[in-house]
Amino acid sequence: MKITALLVLKCHPIPDGSDPVILANATDVNHFGYFQRVTVKQFIVFVGRTVAKRTPPNQRHTVQHEEYKVHSYNRNGLCVVGFMDDHYPVRSAFSVLNQVIDEYQKKHGESWKTIQADTTSQWPYLNDALTKFQDPAEADKLLKIQRELDETKIILHKTIDSVLERGEKLDSLVEKSSDLSAASQMFYKQAKKSNQCCTIL
Amino acid sequence: MVSAGASTYRDRTSEFRSLSDTLKKFGRISAANPDRTYQHNDPSTSSKLPLTPSSYRSEFNKKASRIGLGIHETSKKIARLANLGKKSSIFDDPLKEIQELTALIKNDITALNVAVSDLQTLQNMEIADGDYSEDRVVHSTAVCDDLKNKLMGATKKFQDVLTARSEVCIHGNIKAHENRRQIFSTNISRGNPLRQQTENVMEPPPWSSPSRSSANQPSESSGSGVQVGNQLRRRLAADTTPSQHMEASMLQQQQVVPQQENYSQNRAVALQSVESTITELSGIFTNLATMVAHQGELAIRIDDNMEETMSNVEGARGALLKHLNRISSNRWLLIKIFAILIFFLIIFLFFLA
Repeated sequence: MKITALLVLKCHPIPDGSDPVILANATDVNHFGYFQRVTVKQFIVFVGRTVAKRTPPNQRHTVQHEEYKVHSYNRNGLCVVGFMDDHYPVRSAFSVLNQVIDEYQKKHGESWKTIQADTTSQWPYLNDALTKFQDPAEADKLLKIQRELDETKIILHKTIDSVLERGEKLDSLVEKSSDLSAASQMFYKQAKKSNQCCTIL
Repeated sequence: MVSAGASTYRDRTSEFRSLSDTLKKFGRISAANPDRTYQHNDPSTSSKLPLTPSSYRSEFNKKASRIGLGIHETSKKIARLANLGKKSSIFDDPLKEIQELTALIKNDITALNVAVSDLQTLQNMEIADGDYSEDRVVHSTAVCDDLKNKLMGATKKFQDVLTARSEVCIHGNIKAHENRRQIFSTNISRGNPLRQQTENVMEPPPWSSPSRSSANQPSESSGSGVQVGNQLRRRLAADTTPSQHMEASMLQQQQVVPQQENYSQNRAVALQSVESTITELSGIFTNLATMVAHQGELAIRIDDNMEETMSNVEGARGALLKHLNRISSNRWLLIKIFAILIFFLIIFLFFLA
């Protein structure tokens, strides 16, 4: 389950207009061979541009390409594209995109609307986000909650098992203590009896 | 009566029929005079109760045939339900009809179950009653098993139809719709995306209600989402020419999945699962609390027992101490008594000697 790339682009409000402009780019191509990396980066840029161009405003889209899913979310012309593999849950993917787009808008306000050419400078937040969100639970609170709940359930099951064992032990203790009290009663009676017959002597 | 061993194939059914008729007639006569001697010569129809086996027999047959008819009708209804279910994806669900039919089929199946079990008990009664020919027993068991199997097959088909229909309703048969809508929608789709936004805001709340009622809505909204997807796909298919070199082959590999309503649907489902997990957890906690409470009682009991033991043991200890004291003091008394006895003995000896 990994994210390969995150891109932020500026899309033309009318679809089928000009190509979108890249505002930020973060890629993790370390699992490709050394010589393939540059090609892969170009490919990512290209596919990201195409998908963003074809995403109508205020829409979320997912495109399946070979073993990758490309998720895109277009919000009023600001488009965020993510390249995830097939195992990454779709919902978490979109929550990642949501967070990225919120962060970008908070940071850059409306300045992105004026940018006309591809930005080459890095946006560190995006790189951090890429590494942080490799685990989908980080992005998606629901998934995190579900995971924690499952763990809690397992722990509770174990607790109940140990409580049952405790119950069994308590049962045996009850039996033993009742046997003990019966035995001590017999002991007392015997002692009293043997006391009484010796008084005559 | 077993028809004669057919090693060579000879159709003796007419003889068989005439024989059975005569036997039936005999049977009726001997019902009036129960002590006819012909009984003991007939190994097969050892009918001590002449009328009742045949009446049982016919009753058994009647019931079996009724059950068979019922099963056949039920399977027909199930087939109709399957057809309705398949057809219902695109247009308005004949929802009420389907539900009525489902309820009807369920009732039929339960009634048939009851009838089959009745038949089984009837057969057992028959067998227990008199010593019938083995063939009759075999035949009745075969009939019962056959009916049971048919009923099970019908129930399974019913279940399959229900699951298929629920799948169809939930996923909305997207592929089929895509093809059809592609034919119908052309320029209308442009105006839809903007409208769709407001639609989707309203969609999530209905989905929290049970799935049956929401079954219609996803199929409708997926239809509109498919339009957008088709728009994209058509563009992708059409745009084989523009600019880049790698584009053509890659685009044709791409496959668009309508996302908008699936996203919120996913969230709703996830929320529901979280909610159910939390409820389960609360149940587990309650169980835990009950168990611990019970065990607390056990601990109290143990405590009481131990206190009782303590008091008993202390009492016994006191008694033993007293005993010990008495024993240790008695020796002195014993010496005194023996001394007096010896003194008396000496006096007696003095008197005698």
